[in-house]
Amino acid sequence: MSYFGIDRFFDFLKTVKATGGVRSALYKLYRMDSLRPGVLVGCDKYGNKYYENRHYFLGRDRWIEYAPHYALEYDGSQVPAEWFGWLHHRTDLPPEKDCSRPKYKWMSDHTENLSGTPGQYMPYSTTTPKIHAWVPPKAPPQDEDDENKKKECK
Amino acid sequence: MAAMMSSKLLILGNVAKNPLTLKWAAASLSTSSVRHTEPEIKNDIALLNPEEIEHKKKLQNYITIEGTTDISPITGVPEEHVKERRVRIYEPPKNCMQSGTNNIGHWEMDFDNRERWENPLMGWTSTGDPLSNMKVRFTSKEDAIEFCEKNGWKWYVQESKLEKKFKPKSYGINFAWNKRTRTSTK
Amino acid sequence: MFRLTITKALNGAKVSPKPIFIAARLQSGEVKKPEKIEVFIDDQPVLVEPGTTVLQAAALIGVEIPRFCYHERLAVAGNCRMCLVEVEKSPKPVAACAMPVMKGWRIKTNSEMTKKAREGIMEFLLVNHPLDCPICDQGGECDLQDQSMAFGSDRSRFTDIDFSGKRAVEDKDIGPLVKTIMTRCIHCTRCIRFASEIAGVDDLGTTGRGNDMQVGTYVEKLFMSELSGNVIDLCPVGALTSKPYSFTARPWEIRKIDSIDVLDAVGSNIIVSTRTGEVMRIVPRVNEEINEEWLADKSRFSYDGLKRQRLVTPMIRDNTGELKPVDWEIALLTVAKVIKNAGSNIGAIAGGFADAEALIALKDLLNRLGSEALCTEHTFPLDGSGTDLRSNYLLNNKIANAEEADLVLLVGTNPRFEAPLLNSRLRKAWVHNELEVASIGPKVDLRYSYEHLGDNPNLLQQIAGGQHAFSKKLKAAKKPLVIVGAESLERPDGAAILSAAQSIAAQASSSKDWKVLNVLHKVASQVAALDIGYAPGVDKIREINPKVLFLLGADENAVEKSDLPKDCFVIYQGHHGDRGAAMADAVLPGAAYTEKQATYVNTEGRAQETLPAVTPPGRAREDWKIIRALSEILGAKLPYDNLNDIRDRLDEVAPHLTRYGSAEDANFFRQAQELAKKAKVQLDSTPLDVKIKELQDYFMTDSISRASPTMAKCVQAALKHRQSKYSD
Repeated sequence: MSYFGIDRFFDFLKTVKATGGVRSALYKLYRMDSLRPGVLVGCDKYGNKYYENRHYFLGRDRWIEYAPHYALEYDGSQVPAEWFGWLHHRTDLPPEKDCSRPKYKWMSDHTENLSGTPGQYMPYSTTTPKIHAWVPPKAPPQDEDDENKKKECK
Repeated sequence: MAAMMSSKLLILGNVAKNPLTLKWAAASLSTSSVRHTEPEIKNDIALLNPEEIEHKKKLQNYITIEGTTDISPITGVPEEHVKERRVRIYEPPKNCMQSGTNNIGHWEMDFDNRERWENPLMGWTSTGDPLSNMKVRFTSKEDAIEFCEKNGWKWYVQESKLEKKFKPKSYGINFAWNKRTRTSTK
Repeated sequence: MFRLTITKALNGAKVSPKPIFIAARLQSGEVKKPEKIEVFIDDQPVLVEPGTTVLQAAALIGVEIPRFCYHERLAVAGNCRMCLVEVEKSPKPVAACAMPVMKGWRIKTNSEMTKKAREGIMEFLLVNHPLDCPICDQGGECDLQDQSMAFGSDRSRFTDIDFSGKRAVEDKDIGPLVKTIMTRCIHCTRCIRFASEIAGVDDLGTTGRGNDMQVGTYVEKLFMSELSGNVIDLCPVGALTSKPYSFTARPWEIRKIDSIDVLDAVGSNIIVSTRTGEVMRIVPRVNEEINEEWLADKSRFSYDGLKRQRLVTPMIRDNTGELKPVDWEIALLTVAKVIKNAGSNIGAIAGGFADAEALIALKDLLNRLGSEALCTEHTFPLDGSGTDLRSNYLLNNKIANAEEADLVLLVGTNPRFEAPLLNSRLRKAWVHNELEVASIGPKVDLRYSYEHLGDNPNLLQQIAGGQHAFSKKLKAAKKPLVIVGAESLERPDGAAILSAAQSIAAQASSSKDWKVLNVLHKVASQVAALDIGYAPGVDKIREINPKVLFLLGADENAVEKSDLPKDCFVIYQGHHGDRGAAMADAVLPGAAYTEKQATYVNTEGRAQETLPAVTPPGRAREDWKIIRALSEILGAKLPYDNLNDIRDRLDEVAPHLTRYGSAEDANFFRQAQELAKKAKVQLDSTPLDVKIKELQDYFMTDSISRASPTMAKCVQAALKHRQSKYSD
């Protein structure tokens, strides 16, 4: 059976079943251009899922399935730092299993690359301004009419 | 610059004397060591035919033009920088921190100072004025005025007040016994 | 060395350009012309008066002998020895700056002996001079650098650097303005001579001898003089440098723009040095008729006030009572609406920095709207001929001629702080010409001795009537001067003071060219405003109770908000946020004097123009252009669109306003005196007083200097100095 490649066909059917049906398999194929069976290694707080399949060659054995809210607008900068190392074979330990990952309270959330969007970085001057503008003094207490009115209210 | 051009024209206008007669006349002393000098080659007229030589000779003389020349249409200066700029003709002042006077004694012209702003990218100083660094030197006020008139710029002259009464200085008054010029400190 | 660079020679310059520059400017003495001596300098004959020094004779031809200690405005010291030149038949070289020429001398300024002397002197100077050029502010404009390149040896023989090394000297603290690095001092004593002769403050001197000689104040004393910044210019090396300017710029990257100083009424010529669109420093320019080559401290150091407290956007006071920034359109429309509602009930006050163009634009606008209430902050007596005759309010005899006077009577003025450069001229005359000075007013320190006649104004009448001892001196004097301070004329009896001064002036006999009566103003805009037709003093404003008040840079609070009716709308147009802007309901940002091409008339009546060195910050614009824009919105469009047009208008009103650089003589002294006699004001017996009596009051007097941190430091230093045991 393996000689004719029929087991491959059954592997394909298994993959479709694992994906959750023909519809979702087709959607996945549409969205990610590939339908690969894989072991779910973990997921991050943005909803991205990380899969691994050691039967594929190095480079295609670990992949990310972006969270559904990204739809077709996924890109590589959405991978957070903790999973980036695992995804790129820098380490074999996913974040939960790796105790050498730094954890500081000042570590901020990961943001994707915002170039081309309204949130992009525009360089600005950090030097002290050459001319200091005059800051007008705070308004003095209002004239006597208002003060009298205030007294009346009291 | 204008004076430089005119002096060059004067140089071209001079016709050189025939060198051969002079050199042979000078080498009349010792016949054993007569210096053989090569005859001078004038490349600029050697290959010309007679009509061209005549035309060249005609170009060496001055021609007279009536009235004032206004070369502003052909100088390449944009019209707004001819009509709307004011030129200040002045004598550059001596640097007060130094006693050297080699930088002064001539006339300069420069243009009205236009806007300079801070470039948002790097913070450098940008200007939109092509004539912002244009400072032309002249030896006399009249040269400067002539230049401005020729180029069509409106000019004004800023006179310097440098006339001073000549008073001979004396070392002896530092020791005057009855005058206030007696030095009180060293 | 090349006397003439190649470019100059090719451009057809005559062989020695300098004689045209220098010699043509030197006019010989007046009455008797002594027989001239013939001397030969580098084989060129020159005829000089007897007593001329070798250096001066060489300068007449255009031969510049190098020097460090010699300065043409200071006494001869002869201690640097750099000016040594060879005189034929003399075994030793001769100090050109001190040696008077003798008949027939042949002086060689380029011979072997001279060159050797120069190299030797330069070697000695450099032995103990620190290698500070990279960190020294004087680098690039240093006399020592230039002369060592031109006249020094190319190699050093200083082996002592490996043994005892160079001398080092402690820095002296002489104030917040002058930074001293005394290791660099070459002991030329120029600063000492300046302080002693010109500033009149005898604080600097030398201590020790030889290698251990130190220039300083010896005790912990500050160099407190209003002309202290000039030692920075005089010092040939970087020993005395400007503290606010230190480490900010190099002279080759600086753009220099000629301009005029407006922080006092003298109108000194300055050079505004800029780099990257900001003002780096202000240095003086030579003008023999006004400031020679000196500059007062306030003018020199208050440029950092140009960067602080600036008005950069138009502001309108909203209903919460706070000034909020708006853009030009809204500001002008709001202001125009208010002015239209006011009709002709508008007043204007011109401050101390208002230029002639803005003054004339404002006057034209208000006149077109039907108002005549344009005033200056400072009063001037209007009785008699008032401001109609120019001779009543000008420094008629001009600043330069003050050094020829032989008797000066100061009335209610402290020229030391009101016009430091006029005071330096008076001091020059006091030192060289045996000038006698008398003063009626408070007893202030003028840095030269004078006779204090008292402070009672009735003394003026006594002198005019010939009953005072001083009247005899006045009659005997050939060139007397009466200098009346503008502050004394602001008093209620100002007309009587002026009239008394005029009668004193009339009695003094002098030649026709010598004008005895002079009035010294304190602000740069006063004379121009009076020339254009502004009413002096704000009484007119108080009379008409305006609905709109236009303050053109008026910060002296001549009119308080409480003096005006409740619904009065105050518009302030100026460049600094000071008292005027705090009082205003609408603020229009204008340009300061370094940012506009403007005409200012000094107290002599000399019109001069400032040139724009930097652009006005933010949304600020030139003053007259703001008024022109406002006029267009109001419907009373002014007929000038560019600088030439408004200058033509100035020419129409007063032709001298566009004749820059020359001061026209005013006339009708006798007529003015006759008219003044008819004035009915009587002399008050309140003593004549001046506002600025001491140095600490001098530094912060106007909106620019009040915003300057350097001036604040000076005030602190001056106050501290008063407590020190070494202050006199």
